[in-house]
Amino acid sequence: MSGAEESLMSAVRIGGLLFVLLTAGCAGLEPARGSEAPIAATREAPVALDPVAPAAASPSTSRIASKPASPAAKPPAKAPAPAAPVREVARKESPAPAPAKPAGPPPLDLKTLETRLKETKAIGVLTKLAIKNQVDDLLDQFRAFYQGRLKTTLGELRPPYDRLVLKVVALLQDADPPLAGAIVASREAIWGILADPAKFENL
Amino acid sequence: MSKWIKTWSLIIMLWTSFGAPSRAAEDVSILKDLTAVIALLGVPCGQVISAQRLKENDHIATCKDGNRYRVFLNAQGRVVAQKQ
Repeated sequence: MSGAEESLMSAVRIGGLLFVLLTAGCAGLEPARGSEAPIAATREAPVALDPVAPAAASPSTSRIASKPASPAAKPPAKAPAPAAPVREVARKESPAPAPAKPAGPPPLDLKTLETRLKETKAIGVLTKLAIKNQVDDLLDQFRAFYQGRLKTTLGELRPPYDRLVLKVVALLQDADPPLAGAIVASREAIWGILADPAKFENL
Repeated sequence: MSKWIKTWSLIIMLWTSFGAPSRAAEDVSILKDLTAVIALLGVPCGQVISAQRLKENDHIATCKDGNRYRVFLNAQGRVVAQKQ
């Protein structure tokens, strides 16, 4: 009786030890599960489809909001000379559009985007290969167009380009929102290269 | 003797409890990959509910709508979904 209890106790001890070891081993799985965190984060804060526009719009919006606010607040104190602040505002408004230019399209780095697409864990290998096939097909269409082998217009090549970008963004936006955002932000810059025969030649 | 049986049964029980989830996660990622590929290729499927691996980059995918496709990388380096 005591021998059976002793063997049962030792089995329980071994089981407990294995449980602790396996639980500790499973802690190594956390980085892999970490991919779920961005999904949750994305659902809370979805990717903006056009982050370039708000970035460019925000400085001008704040300028418009802040500048008229100060003269509106000042008139009660400086009522006798209202013309001077207006000119001042007008002078300040004119140089203001200059800093808005750098805030426009972000610098395009195709190599980095390509590397990030290759390395992202948001999509599987087969999906990446399928995307690559479709990108190559589109590039072939542009090549044929510039060589005069394809009777079409640049305008007609734009929808397939937009659809492809949309598909890639849709695949990435939940699991890799930064990359999806970077692709959306680069959409016009990439089109600028495709639509320019000289730049396309150097691609 | 019974001590060893108990120990090994515990080991097997714990192994299946903790080993299965990682395998399941791997399966889910394959199903997700195949679903995305089939959608990209524009063939009817909906969602891939099961897959059988034939070799590397070569799977038989069964869709929710009953369609079955062999999704593979052909000799030209193109991903193809071949209806079964």
